[in-house]
This record gives sequence, structure tokens and C-alpha cells, in this order.
Amino acid sequence: MPALPEYKTRVLLENHGVPLVPAVFHNVMPEILPEPVVFLKAQIPGATSRAGRGLVRKASTTEEISNGLAELLAEENCQGVLAAQAVDIKKEYYAACLLDFGDGENLPGGVILFSPDGGTGIEGRTDSLLKIHFSLLNPPSGNDIEKELEGIPNSPELADFLQKMTSTFIGYKLTVLETNPIAVLEDGSHIAVDCRAEFEKHAVSKKHAELFKVPESTVDDSTPLEKIVETINAMDPAGTGFFRASREKVPVGTIAVATNLCGGGGKMLWEMTTGGRNDIFSLNESDTSGGLSGFKSYRILRAIMSQPEAQVLILTGSGMAFQNQYHLASAVWKALRESATPLPCLLRFGGTDQEKAMELMNTVAETLQVQIKTFRPEIFPNAMVEHLSDIATDRRIKQEFSPEAGEVAFEIDTPPARFVYHPEKNPDNIEPLCINECPTGFLQWNNNRITSNPEAKCIGCLVCETVSLLRGNGELTIELDLPGEVL
Amino acid sequence: MAGILKYLCDIDTPEVLVFGITGRQGKSRSRLMRGFGTKIVAGTTPGKGGQEVDGVPVYNTASDAVSAHPEINSAVFFVPAGAIAKAAFDAMDAGIKFLVLTADGVATQDSIKIKEKAHETGAKCLGPNTVGMLDTHGYLFGLIGGKASWAKKNYLPGKVGVISRSGGLSQLLAAFHCRPYLPGPRPDGSFGPLWKEDYPGLSAVLCVGGDPVPGITLLDAARAFEADPRTRVMAIYAETGTTQENDLARAIENAEINNPVVVILGGKYTEAGVAQSHAGAMIRNENETYAAKKQALENAGVKVVDRPDSVFAATAEFLK
Repeated sequence: MPALPEYKTRVLLENHGVPLVPAVFHNVMPEILPEPVVFLKAQIPGATSRAGRGLVRKASTTEEISNGLAELLAEENCQGVLAAQAVDIKKEYYAACLLDFGDGENLPGGVILFSPDGGTGIEGRTDSLLKIHFSLLNPPSGNDIEKELEGIPNSPELADFLQKMTSTFIGYKLTVLETNPIAVLEDGSHIAVDCRAEFEKHAVSKKHAELFKVPESTVDDSTPLEKIVETINAMDPAGTGFFRASREKVPVGTIAVATNLCGGGGKMLWEMTTGGRNDIFSLNESDTSGGLSGFKSYRILRAIMSQPEAQVLILTGSGMAFQNQYHLASAVWKALRESATPLPCLLRFGGTDQEKAMELMNTVAETLQVQIKTFRPEIFPNAMVEHLSDIATDRRIKQEFSPEAGEVAFEIDTPPARFVYHPEKNPDNIEPLCINECPTGFLQWNNNRITSNPEAKCIGCLVCETVSLLRGNGELTIELDLPGEVL
Repeated sequence: MAGILKYLCDIDTPEVLVFGITGRQGKSRSRLMRGFGTKIVAGTTPGKGGQEVDGVPVYNTASDAVSAHPEINSAVFFVPAGAIAKAAFDAMDAGIKFLVLTADGVATQDSIKIKEKAHETGAKCLGPNTVGMLDTHGYLFGLIGGKASWAKKNYLPGKVGVISRSGGLSQLLAAFHCRPYLPGPRPDGSFGPLWKEDYPGLSAVLCVGGDPVPGITLLDAARAFEADPRTRVMAIYAETGTTQENDLARAIENAEINNPVVVILGGKYTEAGVAQSHAGAMIRNENETYAAKKQALENAGVKVVDRPDSVFAATAEFLK
């Protein structure tokens, strides 16, 4: 879960009336330094045990404040420094709000964890904490909470504090909200001295987007192929296109497999198949699902196939995918034609038009530079992998592909593509077969040229190009640019 | 004979309100549902009351729709995740008793509030993050099958009740029990057709969704299949994370569930704190691990298969 640093969590609490220790946030060295004595706290999202790591310092002199600020501001991922006024604490409590996921017997909701003994060593004594379960739908009042605090000193003030905490927790749909400690001061007031929050990105409302904006880590360990897939997703956002390369070296004696797994079911079947095997090494994690276009499938396949260590590609979903399998097969065929180093493939098609997908791949198999094996969905990945060693290669085939020149009929932005008409392949100006095969009526034949229908939408299925190449004369091809170098 | 909703929420014939019917998803999924036989009575989209989609009247709110069509007893939601809680509350306040929440990416706090509200009102919610459900009695909610013709071809009446935490595997487990001559590993170690033309068939499939706080749980669904006289065996895709499998195992041990149960348990190699496939698969404590769940299920007498394609032979064995 993403974490909010203290200075941002303070804003959430403040908005719900929770009293806080006076503090000022500095993201650059201030011209006027704070008055001593202060605690300087580096604001690093997700950082815990800050005191032990030197990220919280007591500064009693102007020099200590100046040096401390300079050093903490230079820490990696530090968004700034919170200079919090030192206060005399008479008593400390610990409190946190968490989600309670419930079980077969208990409804889910929220839970307050409370310790009258402060937060020191809290991780080791979670069983002894007071747990107050509450409804998110009907949040507890101060009186409700006070009843649960029976026997604890200052319970009315504490209950008021905790009620405001729960209100903050629910108001911002947080997953964790912690104040550690809640300090009781000389005058009897209760204030939050330190705090942190965790949240789900998808739970943040537009209204609060700025408040929850957490800068990305300055450490970007993305591989070039991952960056390419990230850009593909930005160009064509519909559907999931996930790719992550393994950071491990290919172990000696294993078959290095590039994977195109479709959906959570496909991922889980693959994990169940290979998790316990030490002779198969998955070069990457992947998930292409959620109604992505054939264009996007093609682009991501090119990235997946581009992994230099790969010996073979495996493509499988659950076996009953939502993505039209003929569209997916069209993408696979295009990727195998256009890749500079195509991979031998084990391909399992299952879902709508699976028969057409199998037929397509079996029809074109002889024309490909690499071996492919297709599988019906009834053959699961655990049976497919028995064929890996038959077709995995130690020497990648090299082929050249350059798109045939033609007339750009038109281009579309979403999903991005260039449709190229080749009039020399249609000397009699007969309406090409691909026009009628377009599932949305997007392609039109006007005045002996291919045009687009402004009333219809291209879904990026690739059927037109497949039909044109297989059943026509190749009158129409589609150019799908890739946002970076792939093989 | 009644469908599974009779035993899940006492609905004999679902009469459905479609939330978000004017959107692209809403339109296409409504066509799928109607094509399969589901009775769609009305739709709702705020601000679009008075319109029609494929002849289905559209209302601004659920209460408007229910006022005009009091026979509405169930709803399906094709609305964005951020709007799901408000829409679900609208439906439950209007007295609708069965809700199918397809949206992915629903805030966990919203899922919890929906579950609390359902408890208050007596409604049952399938999802969030579900592909829906299908009953071979002749209705479906959500997107199972993708196309009505494909759904009709693949999901055929029979004796297996399917429950799953994964959308793709819901469809797979359900459809493959309806395929004549399905090949697979047999108990004797050979590989080949598991049955002839007499496939086991399906009573219904319920996808409880992949989120950490599902409305209807594996146990709720199993209870419904236990009461359904068509169902003679249950095939379940389960995972790490949540207490659903542990709760199911307890109910089986207590003889609350007596029909045989076959489980494919995912997540054998999932590490704590990592969601391998679905958000709900994240392991939060030792009871939610693969090992703990497998032990609990096997102790309760559940057949837990190691190979995912072994589930079909296992259900067939129970049907002999």
C-alpha cells in the first residue's frame, strides 16, 4: 500500500479536528530557521523506525537546526523536513485505525488498536492491545468509544480524540491511520505527536488527488522493455498490459521462457505449473487482459519476444478468455512475421473464436521461420510445458522485415495505427475482402480507395490485415509503431 | 425447477435492473444477458431517465425504476468503481435483494460498507470484481461467456456447481464440465477422455470475485449449492488470502455442507504480502497461506487437487 508521510497525514487529521503538535514543513532550507528546541523529522513516504535510522533528530541550538535540516533534506526520497515543536509529555498513548476484513462469523468494518502504555515496542505486543471494532457505515460516536475505554484515565478526552481519528480514517478511505504517540500535555490536552497513513491509490477521490500525490521513487529500476510497455499502455490505455522482467539471471540448465499470460487465471495456472519446477525459468511476469485490442496484444508481444535470453514463448490464458482469440491469434501471427528474432511458441487459445484462432495459426505455421505448437484449451499449461524442450532454441532465428510501401489510407489515434493500402495488389479496383470482414463497419470502399467510416470505431482487432494477407492479395496492411527499440 | 438464486436469496425468477445501461459496457453486457435468457426489466443512469436502450426503459434512480416496475428483484452494475457504493446503496434502499457488482478497483472501505449495508437490508451482493454468475436454468448476470451464443454453447445443464475467486477460471471450470470427451489426466495416471458424451454438466457458476472483501463468499455460495437439488458435486477455485477457505472447511467439518467438494487451490508459491493474481489473494496471516488452507480443507474431507486439470476427473469420480 502507498504510504503518506507525516506532514501529509497531519493535513488529513487537521481537517477532521484532531489536535496536533505544532510543526512547520520545510521542503527547502528556510531563510528564517525555526526556534529551538525542535524535533527535525525527515519526510520519506513509507519510512518507519525513523529515530533509529537518524531520520528524526532533536535540535537544541540554531546550529543543530541548520545542520540537521541540511542533512535530512539531502536524504534519498526525502520530500522535506517537519520541524516539530518540542513539548513536555505527561503521558503517552498509542492508537491506530485499521481495516477489519471480517470472516465467516463476523462482519468486516474498522478496528481501533489502542494501548494505554504508548507505542514503544508496539509490534511485539499487538495481542495485548485494546481492540475496538466499529462500523464504517455507522461510525462510532465519542460516547460509543468512551464505553470501550472503561478504566483508562482521561477517557472522555481520549474518546473524543479517537472519534476524530475514525472520522479521518473513514473520510479519506484509508487502510491504516496511526498516531504514535498521542501525548497528554500538562494542561490535560491530547495531541498527536507523530502520525502516518496508508491508502489504496484507487480509493483516492479526485477532490483529494493532490493531497495524496506521492512522488514516485527517485530510484527507477525499470528495464528498457518495461518502459516500452509502460508507453504502450499510455498510448493505448484500454485493457491491462502488464510486463515485468525477472531480475534474476537465467539459471544454468533451465529453459528460459518468455511468457504472455492472459488474465489472473492464466497467471495462476502458470504459477501452479512452474512454481515447483527448477527446469523452467520464467523470464517475465505478464498479464494481458481486460478487453485489450489486438494492436496492443501485438505491441506487448513484440516486447515480450524481445527478451534476448528467451528460448521459447508460451501464451496462455485461463482457457476461457474474454479477449476474442482470433484477434489475439492475428496479433501473434503479425508479431512472428515482423519480429527480427521471432521465438518458437506454445500457444493455447481458449475463448470466443478459439477454433478460428487455431485454424489461423495452423494455416500460417509453415510460412513462419520458427516452430509453433497450438493447443486447445482443454490442454492445460501443466501439460503444455512437456513440449517446451522440443521447440526451445539456443540460437534465435534472425529475419528481416520492412513494411511494404503503399499509400497511407488513414491513421487513427486510439488505438494508434496507420492503415496502408497497396493499390498495385488490386489492379482491377475490386472491393477488397477485408472491407466486409471489419466487425464494426469501420472500413469502407469509396472511389476505389479504402477509407474510414466516421460513424464507426476501429477496435484494433487486426482482422482486416489477416483477411487481406490470407484470403486477399495483401491490399491492406497495418503499421503499428513501437515506442522504442525491440527485436 | 428453481435456479441457484432461489437458494441464495429466495428469488425464483430474476427480474433485473441494469445500472449503467447507457454506457458501452452496459449496453453490450445487457445484450449478452438478454440473449442468454435473462429478463431485463429496466436500466438506470443518472440524468438519462426517459431514454430507452434496445427497448429497455431507463430511469434516473433505482427507486424510480422499482416504483415503475415493482417486479424488479435483482440488479447488475456496469458503473465505474468509484461510483459503485452509491449505486449499490441506491439499489438496496429500493429493496433490491440480489446485486452483481462487476467493477474492479473498488476501494476496500466501499466494499466493507456495501457488505454492512447488505447485512442490514438482507440483500446479497456478488462481487465486487466479479465476472458474474450463470445458471443453466436460463439466466446470467455480468459477462460470463462474452457472447450469448458462446455462453449457450458452453454452459449446459448438469450436476456440477462451480464457485470461483477468478473470473477466467469461473468460466473455464464451468464450461469444461460441459464438454463431451474432455481430455485430462485420469486417476490411473493415463491421459485421455474423462467421460464420453455424458458430460457432468453445470447447475450454475458463481464468481465470488477476486477482492479482499467479497459480498457473497465461497461458503455462502456453497450453502446455496448444498440446497440446490440439481447440484451433486462442487468444483471450486480457491486461493490464498481472506478466510473464505477456512470458513468453508469449518462448515464442511460441521456437516453443514455434505455434497462432495473438489478444490483447485492457487497460490502455492505466493509469498506473504504479495498479491500474485488477485488483490484478495494477498496473505495477511498464517491462516491465509496455501499450506494452512490446504490442510484445513483436506482435514474437512475436501479433495484438493495438485494439477489444475485434475479437477475434472475428481468431480467425475464423485458422480460415479
